[in-house]
Amino acid sequence: MDLIQILIFITISVLIGFLARGRWRSWAILGISSLALFWLQPASAIRHLDFWFPTLAMFLTALTWIAVRPRGQAISREDLYTFGGMTAIPILISLLRNLDRAFLITATRPPQPVGVLFAALLAGVILVILVRASKQNLLLTRLAVLLILGLFIVLKSDSLGQNLSRGLRSWTQQPAELASALDLSWLGFSYIAFRLLHTLRDAQTGKLPELSLRAFAGYVLFFPALTAGPIDRVERFQKDLGQAGRLSAEEAIAGGTRIVVGVFKKFVLADGLALIALNNSNAAQVQSSAWLWVITYAFSLRLYFDFSGYTDVAIGMAQIAGVRLPENFDRPYTRLNITAFWNSWHITLAQWFRTYFFNPLTRALRRGRIRPPAPVVIFVTQVSTMVLIGLWHGIAWNFLLWGLWHGVGLFIHNRWVNFQRANPDFLPRPLQKARAMNILSGLLTFHFVTLGWIWFVIRDVEQAWATFARLFGG
Amino acid sequence: MKRSTDLDREGSLGKSMKEKIKQFIVTEILKDPQRALADDEALISSGLIDSFSLVDLALYIEDTFGVRVEDTDLSAAVFDTISELITFIEKSK
Repeated sequence: MDLIQILIFITISVLIGFLARGRWRSWAILGISSLALFWLQPASAIRHLDFWFPTLAMFLTALTWIAVRPRGQAISREDLYTFGGMTAIPILISLLRNLDRAFLITATRPPQPVGVLFAALLAGVILVILVRASKQNLLLTRLAVLLILGLFIVLKSDSLGQNLSRGLRSWTQQPAELASALDLSWLGFSYIAFRLLHTLRDAQTGKLPELSLRAFAGYVLFFPALTAGPIDRVERFQKDLGQAGRLSAEEAIAGGTRIVVGVFKKFVLADGLALIALNNSNAAQVQSSAWLWVITYAFSLRLYFDFSGYTDVAIGMAQIAGVRLPENFDRPYTRLNITAFWNSWHITLAQWFRTYFFNPLTRALRRGRIRPPAPVVIFVTQVSTMVLIGLWHGIAWNFLLWGLWHGVGLFIHNRWVNFQRANPDFLPRPLQKARAMNILSGLLTFHFVTLGWIWFVIRDVEQAWATFARLFGG
Repeated sequence: MKRSTDLDREGSLGKSMKEKIKQFIVTEILKDPQRALADDEALISSGLIDSFSLVDLALYIEDTFGVRVEDTDLSAAVFDTISELITFIEKSK
């Protein structure tokens, strides 16, 4: 989101907070969020893809809702209206394709309405078949999980993405030799996918509350959290929205302050630091070890201000619109160990992985036929969780190594805590309580995380190694 | 690791739910049986119980009190203190 877009969304949030009450607030949030999907989606080199990605996000949302509904339940009239509204939005956008560019909501001119109508018809037929099938077919949630994971893998992998881009280019009769995974930047998909997967898993374990399509889609596509999270939980989101009254002055001031802080962090601090921060191109050019340290620190701080600034804006905007999104950062760079860092950095993502990957895996290993010793279980679960979080950023060696770095770091810290508990006098008591010890722990943690970002930012592994070598005078 | 039955044999049978849970946490997780644990002491958000031990605690609760603790329940937002955990178990019964 740029500043103009943030200003427009603030205005909309204030209007929603002031004017829309009860179910109207929920309708307003769904309507605005659906339009925001199209508006925020960046242009793609592949023709009309900036129209089809948001459309597909809406289709996936409706499809998942069908998969998570209680079996055999009839579709209410209100749900039908929501289906109608969600179908009408892409059709309307395509009908307005001949307007002046200034009035277009999509990055490029949308496709012809005939094609969109045909796609809407096809989507409708698929959804009706699924509604009927879902009465007997318990496999639907599993198929939806596989579909979302499959899409995720293709979009996050350079080679698969390039192949998909080539296929799409031959469909749109564009030169296939220019195909690139960069053509497939689908705004918000990562976060949408996490929300959908959470509802699908909870439906499988019978923990998901009953939700109307309006409520469900409003949660998945909620406009403040579309671009950079946080990843809320649907039952919490619903509860908030149900209780939201008219926007009070206190809420408006608190939300507004949060947005101002976020904007300052993102557009002043992060963008300022970006001028010198480590990146793919300057990593190879900088020869001085001291300057390399400076730009590595700059990247570390830039990333925090950028991401947490965006989160502040999202939380502030949501608060004005009547929803308290969960916190995503809690002073992560002041933490005294790597475990505490991961409890305070991208909190909702870490919690998601804990809930849907780490906990079930640990449970299975502790209860399985073969029960490995606790340290083995801890190593396997922590490393695999962090590697998956790494690969979530992109299926590439550098992200895998970044995940490994943190997984091994967490394991070592866990063993150290365990060792200290077994040998409480290993470190002399006065040393354990010394302020200097805390400062040292904090600095060690910050440097561990900051050095880890080198894997994150430099895609080429050999170049990342070379950067490490130069940092340490090699 | 000692299972719940071992603990029971060692004399925790007949103790209150709260005492049993406290005993499990201090002996099995914190490895310090002498440690006093306050009812309102933060367990998860303070980092006292890590993610791995939290799953072990859930398995102990399931075995001992016959309630199901879902993976989604294992977070400081659901319970963070002994008191909150007791309320959670009572509600789940």
